[in-house]
Amino acid sequence: MTVGGGAGGAPSAYDPKKLRVYGLAGSIVGIYLGAILNNVFDTTLFSFIGAVAAIFAVILGANSVRRICAYGIGTGVPSIGMLALGMGIVAVMFGLSVAEALGFWLLGPIITLVYAGVFGYIIGVIANKVIKFNIPIMEEGNADLSMAGALALLGWSFAISGTLSYADIVNDLLLTGYIAIIFIAGGLAILHPFNANLGPDEKQDRTLVNSIMVGSIVMITTGIAAILTQGAAAGLLQLVIGVAIWFYFFKMYYRLVKRDASKVVGTGLLPPSAL
Amino acid sequence: MNGFDINTIVYILEIVVGGLLVGIGVHFVPVGGAPAAMAQASGIGTGTVQLAAGSGLTGLLAAGLMMSVTDNIWLILASGGVGAGIMIGATMLTGGWIYAYAVGVPFASAKVNYDPITKFSQAPYVSPGTVGQGIPTVCYVSGLIGGMMGGVGGAMIYYPLYLINGNAGLSAIFSIGIFLVNAVLASWNIQGTIEGFHDPKFKKWPFAYRACAVASILLALAAVLITGGA
Repeated sequence: MTVGGGAGGAPSAYDPKKLRVYGLAGSIVGIYLGAILNNVFDTTLFSFIGAVAAIFAVILGANSVRRICAYGIGTGVPSIGMLALGMGIVAVMFGLSVAEALGFWLLGPIITLVYAGVFGYIIGVIANKVIKFNIPIMEEGNADLSMAGALALLGWSFAISGTLSYADIVNDLLLTGYIAIIFIAGGLAILHPFNANLGPDEKQDRTLVNSIMVGSIVMITTGIAAILTQGAAAGLLQLVIGVAIWFYFFKMYYRLVKRDASKVVGTGLLPPSAL
Repeated sequence: MNGFDINTIVYILEIVVGGLLVGIGVHFVPVGGAPAAMAQASGIGTGTVQLAAGSGLTGLLAAGLMMSVTDNIWLILASGGVGAGIMIGATMLTGGWIYAYAVGVPFASAKVNYDPITKFSQAPYVSPGTVGQGIPTVCYVSGLIGGMMGGVGGAMIYYPLYLINGNAGLSAIFSIGIFLVNAVLASWNIQGTIEGFHDPKFKKWPFAYRACAVASILLALAAVLITGGA
């Protein structure tokens, strides 16, 4: 259950607007870079860029979960993570399918992003106006969350399938069932950081480093799936890069946890004179 | 993309009705959240989304199985409803064993003085400082209704999607997306915990109805545009 702070929102060292720009630009550029490199060199070796791009989206998602849930939504942090991925999966399938129908696969991520943003914003408006949450950042927070969920899923889908073609993603992800893995693992990457770190001593950098850590664990998972769909070279490359990112950020996270943890000092039993 | 005809409108309507069934069904499920996990509130000790997703996905599986042998919509909806009902019933039954024999609490609801179904007195059995414990009969019955509504809703979303794109995996994951959005909106409406149709919070369902209607229409419009790929 959410017990995070009261009104006023979470204090942030990093400005949410800047994080949004970095998150969206990082993931969109990453997905396109990976797709174009794969296409030009006719290989699947660059698929790992999709998983790295997804980590940018995950940071954005974790930050907006943190901002919304700091107001207290009463249903627990996991619900909002599942909402992000629910909105995201619909946007991804819609975007890729429409781009394929238009005959221009490069449009896929843009259509996905636009649909996710508009839909997330509308869900935010509904939450405030109909369900009467009255959380001031609900609209932009939900739009961020929806775009983050969609781009993260798109990045991982690309990492497993190696192309942005709708038909290939349907074959490699939906018919094999890998979509279920990235759905839940991606949900964890977005919802778990705030769920694990919430409380009065929650710090933004610790939460976001945790999100990068979980995002890289998803990258390890997509690497394993990519071994089966794209062959050993592309899959192992992704796996190794995922492990490296995870190791680096796990150490950083551990350092931040030690920085923020209170010291427990043993004072011994009460002296006999006090009894 | 298939042409826009009368069938498309029927598909959109089916998806919207399915989304509304999910949204309203969530209000019937006795969601206790973390307090129930500590036996300090009545209901099942987990969040709405987990319960709704669990029963909905079971319903989806049951509907999909039925759809592989027949395309009669009534049989498919019934199969989805029964599948989800069994799932939520089994959860409440085994959860009830744990509350009764492991935690050792009497089942009592703090929201009503007399159980509307069994007419048993509730107030004397509610431990001081808690809002009921366990899963009383009325919550169990309400939960079964809610689970079945969720399952029928899930099947009602899956059925038109499968007819549109003919791809079981795609339809299933798309249904899960629509399902989760509606379940989360409904759970936000009940603010986390509810006991069932006898709970005063149940009267808030029209808000969820409106919210889920708008969300489902937007999702349905996207859903009818997707193709099966390949």
